[in-house]
Amino acid sequence: MPETTSPEKVRIRITVNDVAHDLLVEPRTLLADLLRGDLELTGTHVGCEQGVCGACTVLVDGAATRSCLVFAAQLDGTAVRTVESLAGADGTLHPIQQAFHENHGLQCGFCTPGMLMGACELLERTAEPDPDEVREALGGNLCRCTGYQNIVRSVCAAGQSMTAAKNGAQA
Amino acid sequence: MSTVEDRPTTATTGSPRKNGTERRWIGRSVPRKEDPKLLAGRATYVGDVTLPGMLHGAVLGSPHAHARIVSIDTSAAEAIPGVKAVLTGAQAAELVNPMPAFCAEPVPQTAIAIERVRYPGEAVAIVAATDRYIAEDACAAIRVEYEVLPAVVDPEAAMAPDATRIHETLDSNVAFHRVLDFGDVEGDLARAHTVVRTRARWHRMCASPMETAGAVASWNPFDKSMTVYSNSNFHNFLPWAFAGMLGVSTNRMRMIPCAVGGSFGSKHFITKVLAIAGALTKATGKPVQYLEDRVDNIAANDNVGCDRIYDAELALAEDGEMLGLTLKIVDDYGAYFQFAHGQHGNAMAQPTGPYRIGSLRYDVSCVLTNKVQQGFFRGAGADPGNFVLERLVDKASEVMGIDRAEIRRRNFIAPEQFPFKTPSGNVYDSGDYAAVLDRALELAGIDDWRAEQERLRAEGRYLGIGLATCQERTGYNASEWWFLYDNPPLPATSTPESVKMDVDAMGGVRVEVGCPLWGNSPETVVSQVVAEEFGIDPNDVSVTYADSTTGAMSAGPGGSRLTIMLSGATRGAARTIRDKMIRIAAHAMEIDPDDVECVDGTFRAKGVPGASMSMADIGMRAHLFFHSTPEDESSGLVAVHTYDHPYSTPPSADRTDMGAFYPMVSHACHIPIVEVDAETGVVTLRAYYAVNDCGTVMNPTLVEGQIVGGIVQGIGAALMEEYRYGEDGALDTPTFREYLMPSMHEVPEIVVEHLETPSPFTEYGVKGAGEGGRLVAPTAIASAVDDALKPFGVWVDELPMTPERVVDLVAGAHEGRP
Amino acid sequence: MKPAAFAYLAPHDLDEALDQLAEHGADARVLAGGQSLVRLMNARLASPAVVVDINRVGGLDALSLVNGSGPARLRLGATVRQRTSELSPEVAAHAPLLAEAGAHVAHAPVRSRGTVVGSVAFADPSAELPTALLALDGRVVARSRSGERTIEADDFFTGPFTTSLAPGELVVAVEVPVTAAGTGTAFVEVSRRHGDLPVCGVAATVTRGDDGSVAATRIALCGAGERPVRARAAEDALTGSDGGADAVAAAAARAADGLSPIADCHGSADFRRHLARVLTGRALRTAIHRAAGEADNA
Repeated sequence: MPETTSPEKVRIRITVNDVAHDLLVEPRTLLADLLRGDLELTGTHVGCEQGVCGACTVLVDGAATRSCLVFAAQLDGTAVRTVESLAGADGTLHPIQQAFHENHGLQCGFCTPGMLMGACELLERTAEPDPDEVREALGGNLCRCTGYQNIVRSVCAAGQSMTAAKNGAQA
Repeated sequence: MSTVEDRPTTATTGSPRKNGTERRWIGRSVPRKEDPKLLAGRATYVGDVTLPGMLHGAVLGSPHAHARIVSIDTSAAEAIPGVKAVLTGAQAAELVNPMPAFCAEPVPQTAIAIERVRYPGEAVAIVAATDRYIAEDACAAIRVEYEVLPAVVDPEAAMAPDATRIHETLDSNVAFHRVLDFGDVEGDLARAHTVVRTRARWHRMCASPMETAGAVASWNPFDKSMTVYSNSNFHNFLPWAFAGMLGVSTNRMRMIPCAVGGSFGSKHFITKVLAIAGALTKATGKPVQYLEDRVDNIAANDNVGCDRIYDAELALAEDGEMLGLTLKIVDDYGAYFQFAHGQHGNAMAQPTGPYRIGSLRYDVSCVLTNKVQQGFFRGAGADPGNFVLERLVDKASEVMGIDRAEIRRRNFIAPEQFPFKTPSGNVYDSGDYAAVLDRALELAGIDDWRAEQERLRAEGRYLGIGLATCQERTGYNASEWWFLYDNPPLPATSTPESVKMDVDAMGGVRVEVGCPLWGNSPETVVSQVVAEEFGIDPNDVSVTYADSTTGAMSAGPGGSRLTIMLSGATRGAARTIRDKMIRIAAHAMEIDPDDVECVDGTFRAKGVPGASMSMADIGMRAHLFFHSTPEDESSGLVAVHTYDHPYSTPPSADRTDMGAFYPMVSHACHIPIVEVDAETGVVTLRAYYAVNDCGTVMNPTLVEGQIVGGIVQGIGAALMEEYRYGEDGALDTPTFREYLMPSMHEVPEIVVEHLETPSPFTEYGVKGAGEGGRLVAPTAIASAVDDALKPFGVWVDELPMTPERVVDLVAGAHEGRP
Repeated sequence: MKPAAFAYLAPHDLDEALDQLAEHGADARVLAGGQSLVRLMNARLASPAVVVDINRVGGLDALSLVNGSGPARLRLGATVRQRTSELSPEVAAHAPLLAEAGAHVAHAPVRSRGTVVGSVAFADPSAELPTALLALDGRVVARSRSGERTIEADDFFTGPFTTSLAPGELVVAVEVPVTAAGTGTAFVEVSRRHGDLPVCGVAATVTRGDDGSVAATRIALCGAGERPVRARAAEDALTGSDGGADAVAAAAARAADGLSPIADCHGSADFRRHLARVLTGRALRTAIHRAAGEADNA
């Protein structure tokens, strides 16, 4: 049998969570599958593969992006950040994760990585968002467990704690 | 025949909670132990499982609702490099057995259709390949010739004797029909002053957890064993049923639970994914992962809730006393009957709600059509029941001119009437419904909202205030799946839950639970109970999940049972170990065991300061120093405790009494505030108030999370969620672009409060709380829309209230339609 | 749900892109933001043999005011993101309708990849941006190896997801005339859920004459036909009127004349006609207010 008739693979150099990769990818490989498969970063979850649910949201060059709607081949030269980049190797949670923990912003945890990455982008732009700003940024991320209220609270609280920490560090 | 006096024999009476004094950890918002791994993206869901050499499965689904499979040509698919197996239904049937079902009727079901497809999306062929992309290439290359048959879509039409038959093994599409009368129904109707009626429609919706169902199956052909990772909940409840389906002896089958990305009732059994992964691993000798994609999950899982047409009537005396209730129900079950009429067994727990309704007629027809089968979805059959009952109560209020809170108050079961035996036999444990209602009205600030309503009406805007007071039966008993049968296929069960606990030589407490992590909080609940019993910090308790080889018994989360059952099992195990530790400590301190108390994780001689032993002291002694322990004690500190359903009685033989099977009954009053755009039909939630009584609250933050999440699912049920089918039976809502669930934008601020009337039947007095939000919100929001559109005189009897339906209601009211 | 295999091409300049599109013709699909195309490919509703990714083509990401011959125009290149357009001061100043309609498209993360031109070229009959382009009397600039042409929005949309673009042609930009003082615009829609495609939406522009009467209006609807459509009967009814409540009501009543909406699970044809009338009234009222320079909610 012939080895393959599939089209030529594409070479990409991307940085994922600060690690540089030089990869040959099939053109049709979705970013979500590259992350979850070859790169073994299974924290990024796939919920609908239609861009509706937002579970697979990661940051591409800092922008919240549905990884089910992007081919890895498109990402040559970019930097990708996933949920695995947030917590420390010693188990220390990122302030956003800590806020989700303290405000019960998750139940089953499946939508959570997408929510966290969306929150990262928002808080980079808006240090202390109000609930409406959180809804505007994360409104396209579906959660079936929490009813959202505690997610909104978590993101607002994360903004406050991160700002306080920054001010404390400068003081 | 059972009576209220058939109480549990164990002394399990919960005492009223005095938080901070008698109890340290039960009732506190202990942060969730499950969180860190989930937050870090380090939990292992079934889609994250990778085994050496693992292949990936995909399914070719039927494009037709009803068709005969004339031929299947898999040759092109098999020729694709990377494809390792392509199986038709007939080929798969040589590897795995039909899917088990709980019905008495002969409704055979295989995971992959053989000869005939009966719903759109039903699997026709399955593929295993080296990756999912190639597996889907292969599906696309399979050629199937169909002979399209007439699709049976309308359940009422399906009941006609000459309707196209879904199953040739049955005489009719009515798989099950039964009329059950409890009390003097005819007499109550005859003596009624007023009878209000409704024809209500509750469409099918699906649980739609963010993670679909999946399994990784690995067959070892040499020792004939199979290992299965999955997100099923029944690995420690019905593993024998899975083994039978997969053709593996029960003692060579190992099922390993994964973290589960939500379920809401949809992943109890998931036999389809297990059969698909199982057939493919047997065909290839390699591990195979099959994870539904979203279309598979919506179109072809046991994910779908009730699909009912109600003709219902409520008979009332002149003063508004509710006398009798009749419910004539046609339920569209779809093409198969896996859980039989289980959703009606469930509804039988509380058909008369929180009211003293004396008689009940329950007339149910379960009808088969060319749609995906029903499974379970949060509410599990009691959800439309609450909808219809509360709509009737609102209608009675309107027709009889009695305020809707007042008519409820007049009919509530009073606190002194508990335990209360309902007409159909189930027993309610405790409650104070009027107190819940009063507090909800106060919390919502009803008078302010009425003023706001008046102000907005002057501007031509329509604000509505809803009200619903509903039951949430909790702590299910799986007998409900089959006990409506005269000759059930199975006897009554107690649906047990067990934990294994041990205290190690250094005093560390480990608990192994039989349930999976389904999005609930088993680790936190167990840790709180252990902390309560030993006086240690819940953070110091380690909780792990048992696979199916440990002998654990668990039906897991479902029917709002887990906290009740886990706290019972954990407390039992803790007491056993604590008592042994007390005996060892007493022996060591040379005092009577009655003089030893366990406080803050130490075992102290009562009244003797300084005389104490730590958990580690006793642990080391128990593990290693047999000769330093009492003579009749064996070494070690291990206990397995199985907590059977705290209070269930079998139904009477003639089914005039269904027995007590769902007796821990929570209650809630919800008051949603909506604004309706009468021109566009758009309903917007402005605020939401809920007062809930689920007995002793184990963990307020977590209970609130369950309630709020359920309310938002209820907002979906009220406004958005619906399976729609074309006349040809095509599913018009196969993705999240058509099957709509609420986003952050559709959700108002939700205020939840708790009152607590502990259950006398359970440990600590806890009741369940998992389904309460969704059991109440849909009917409460319907009430709010009615209230908003009162100037038009609309009557909501169909959900969801889509913009189009609302506009039609307003137009119908203009035209004088009923 | 995985896409079929395809060849991936990532041209670095426009000529290379046009050569590739010419070579592969109907076998190729252009990938810009990909927020619709990749979704279709995942579901295998689209399985192009070749995908031409234009994101690396220089010069297509310009958003600029063009003051050439004729009236000033705002020009958005093929890779201008929807989010960029929505937040752009130029767009806010010169084509506020585009920003207002754009804010209804999906959610911020989708809009930060999705492009304005991509939405127009995708020609979803329910989508907001094609409708806004139509209401603004905009045009599409298409380039192929044989040169450049402009296509009026009125002529561009030919059916559901189909346009008058020829194989080998690439939309390099869309252009809209600058919205002048005295012209008010508005976009309103009803969607089943925030961020979803509307069941029906209306984009309206109203220009008032010196005497306050309606000198010109364009009303475009989405979700109301097989393509973005103009409510010409309503336009005719309003034009020349005083723009008062009665005139708006009379125009709105004509908004569904001649429409043949596509029914789906979100709404029947009748309901869409109903919404077309209701929303046209609302859009016109707002646009007329704005044309008079009045603040919203005045």
